Amino acid sequence: MLAELTLTLLLLLSPLALGQTQIHQFQYQTDEQFHEELVVRPLAGDHVNTYFQFTTRWHYGVHKNLYHTQLTPRVIAEILQTYDVRELHIGLTQGLWRYETWGYPIVEATGGAELWAWFSSPNLTDDSVNNQWMRLANVFSGILCASLNFVDNTNSIAPKHIFRPQFMESGHRSQQFVRYATLPREIVCTENLTPWKKLLPCGSASGLATLLNSGYVHNTKYHSLGVKVRTLCDSDDPNNCIVELTQTANLVYDLKLLEQSNTDFSLRRLFGMGLNGYCEMANSSKIYVQRNEQGERFQLTPPPQEEVLSKVGGHSVLFGVYDIQQQFEGPGARLFNIAWLGPKGNSKREHMSPPPLYAHRYLLGNGQKHGRIATEVTNTHYEPLPVVLMELVPWYVHAYLHTLRISSKPQHLYEYTTNELKYSLLHYAPGKQRVLPTHLEIGFMLPARSSALITIEVDYLLLKWLEYPPDANHGHYIGSAVISSQLPIGRNYTALPLEGYLFQDSFNASRTAYMLTLRTEALIVSLPTPDFSMPYNVICLACTVVALAFGPIHSVATKLIIVERQTTIPRNLLRKIVHKLTTRFSRRPANSAVNEQQNDEQNGKGKEKEKKKEQEKKQLDQTENKKFCDKQAHM
Amino acid sequence: MLFKALLLVLAIIQISAEEYDTAILPEAYIDAAERSTHTNNWAVLVDASRFWFNYRHVANVLSIYRSVKRLGIPDSQIILMIADDMACNARNPRPGQVYNNANQHINVYGDDVEVDYRGYEVTVENFVRLLTGRTQNGTARSKKLLSDAGSNVLIYLTGHGGDGFLKFQDSEEITSQELADGIQQMWEKKRYNELFFMVDTCQAASLYEKFISPNVLAVASSLVGEDSLSHHVDPSIGVYMIDRYTYYALEFLEKVQPFSKRTIGEFLQVCPKRVCISTVGVRKDLYRRDPMKVPIIDFFGAIRPTRVSTGRINVTLANEEDFTDVAHIQPKKQFKIVVQPQFIAKINK
Repeated sequence: MLAELTLTLLLLLSPLALGQTQIHQFQYQTDEQFHEELVVRPLAGDHVNTYFQFTTRWHYGVHKNLYHTQLTPRVIAEILQTYDVRELHIGLTQGLWRYETWGYPIVEATGGAELWAWFSSPNLTDDSVNNQWMRLANVFSGILCASLNFVDNTNSIAPKHIFRPQFMESGHRSQQFVRYATLPREIVCTENLTPWKKLLPCGSASGLATLLNSGYVHNTKYHSLGVKVRTLCDSDDPNNCIVELTQTANLVYDLKLLEQSNTDFSLRRLFGMGLNGYCEMANSSKIYVQRNEQGERFQLTPPPQEEVLSKVGGHSVLFGVYDIQQQFEGPGARLFNIAWLGPKGNSKREHMSPPPLYAHRYLLGNGQKHGRIATEVTNTHYEPLPVVLMELVPWYVHAYLHTLRISSKPQHLYEYTTNELKYSLLHYAPGKQRVLPTHLEIGFMLPARSSALITIEVDYLLLKWLEYPPDANHGHYIGSAVISSQLPIGRNYTALPLEGYLFQDSFNASRTAYMLTLRTEALIVSLPTPDFSMPYNVICLACTVVALAFGPIHSVATKLIIVERQTTIPRNLLRKIVHKLTTRFSRRPANSAVNEQQNDEQNGKGKEKEKKKEQEKKQLDQTENKKFCDKQAHM
Repeated sequence: MLFKALLLVLAIIQISAEEYDTAILPEAYIDAAERSTHTNNWAVLVDASRFWFNYRHVANVLSIYRSVKRLGIPDSQIILMIADDMACNARNPRPGQVYNNANQHINVYGDDVEVDYRGYEVTVENFVRLLTGRTQNGTARSKKLLSDAGSNVLIYLTGHGGDGFLKFQDSEEITSQELADGIQQMWEKKRYNELFFMVDTCQAASLYEKFISPNVLAVASSLVGEDSLSHHVDPSIGVYMIDRYTYYALEFLEKVQPFSKRTIGEFLQVCPKRVCISTVGVRKDLYRRDPMKVPIIDFFGAIRPTRVSTGRINVTLANEEDFTDVAHIQPKKQFKIVVQPQFIAKINK
């Protein structure tokens, strides 16, 4: 039935669709914009960071509803309408960003899945937000093929200080709600990349997205897919709004793993193929290549069309820019490739100085009962830095607030001193078994050139039998801590300013302070895990013991013991007759073999013969005894 | 059937109403439409085992996924359940790739794959909920089996099984009775037209023994009391690549093209005992058609005959205002974007 309908519809609509194309193109220019950007930054230690950013911006207002989209995926527009979402961040990441050697990433992400969203609408209550939050996560679990449907109230919190809205509302401001959750166990693979690419206007058909091939994305050291949506409304006019969708893919390649002798690399080497063009829907399509710092040692072929020097907070970065639309303008355009040629010979590579602030996290203590979560934040800057730390401890780990300590040490010392730092901000929401996670936020000033160690003691819970996952011995995760700070300098700082939406908006975007967020490592704890095969073993063992005990006891308890005279009837026919006759005549029971033996002795035969006979007799007796026993056993 | 015929007639009338000489539908199309008993295709493909050493089960399920996708069932109508990640597993030396063969003939994972249920989501509860359409409130659309009375449904299961059960993730089981009840409920709720049940596991035939629902054709890789065996090991990854039955099934399906004349009957014979070692079990008593006359595309594909018209057809749209000319759309007023401070100032004291 469907097929017939499809056919009919196809027949009816195909000419119409052709007619509409031109009008659409006109609309793109006025209403919706799409930009694609790629940033390539060589990092220290033969690593290359490639960052893709696809931005769809829809300036709407006349539309009564958000269902008529052109470049923006409809599903994104729909969730804004249905779930009162104003801002949404989703990250799917594999690997760990190494701050100390790689600097700061353009977009922050934690391992596994992370999402947070802002809701705002009149008539929203905490409960309705909880409900909408779960349904929102469910929607994205379908869209991105991730297990985001595991997000519920038992692993979500409402951060108080660390996340601030990045959206704009018009006129009367209604109450704003935020929800945050992480799923550190989540694996990121092609099945996430495929639907992520399908959200793009050109899909994976053309443009920079063609470079994202699964085989070359997943052999990286770090890969992170991101989706960020926010709405920006004119504060005076509620009918003048922008929906901004930013899709990011942040990859770090290890050149050593690309199996080549030198440090040369190219787009083709990194992504498996050159660029075949730009997305026809895109307003701009650009590649930025960092030329200074680690990028200084490379020569570029072809050379960039222009170079841009960006000064941010007293720190300058030089970018080479390739405009792909210009590149493919003329006739005879073919595959476009950029090659980075490293210096010949083993040149000394300059080491990167660590960024102003970085953090690590680990578990202290031993055993499966108690432990301590330790987070170490280091400030290498010459001024004190304000730090806010957020911990989300799942319900199966019980944290004790009174054990919270912030000890500090100067950077050059190895051991922490006993003096404690005072916190100026504390928000603590205790967890509840199986219901709520523990939520902790602390803010303090971190002195110049020093480290702070934040520790909190925890108990590990013994779960119920069915609460253990199928691979219980893998361990349970505690999501990463989020640390935010404000940097006075722009060294290693690459994030986009919030007012902008393109990578080029970060050029020369000097501010008085730079908002920084970091993610630490996620932790894995081995909760007390029972031996799941134990019941089976117990059953087997118990059954064996019972069976072994039961047999003899049963036989002892039920068998009737009858004493029967031993027969000494000889086998020999002649002897049998003699035997019978003797028994008949004597009329007394033939007693035992001993009698016969005595008889034999009396007969006075040779001693050897005697012995042989003796043996034979014994054997005979034994066999007969056995038969007798058997009879008894069958009774 | 009646409704379908009516629609067909409507379609013909609608098209012949235009002043066209090409308005008559092609003969082959009417033929195909009349012969088929179904209107849409769905596939539920389940790998029930976790852990790296069960690589072969993931390769199994991806082989069938690859085939049904290649033959035209869209991702929105394939429910793929994979209990563990093999492609991006740290033990996989070829990230993002799963092969059916040590010589890396076919990357069954491919570059375009959508897994609907994965990891811990693959549970007996979710599987039964999926079949019977009783998914929890708020479940994403791609995680639902939205089939109807005109759907041909392919169910493929693989994992570790025994007499009368199939293990899920090494921690729970689905019994043959639960499966039969689930399928009976599907029938009662008119969730399928015909159902092809395929299972590759040890003692697989025990899983379809309890079926009582009509229009079900079932095939199992081994009879009760038999083990299903794996095909070969890849020394570079250290585990078995794929199971025998599915290996030969994929070999057969790779040769099938859309509009192919191959039948389900031929497919039932893909793995004779000499190559499979186990005996392939088939249950036909619930199925009313002759499998030798049923095209394999009825279950493994969803290609419908379509014809492209190049002529112009004038139609009136229901919502004309949606397609009004855009001349009056003026560029919006630009406004300054001011975002509130992102860091709380309290600490700076």
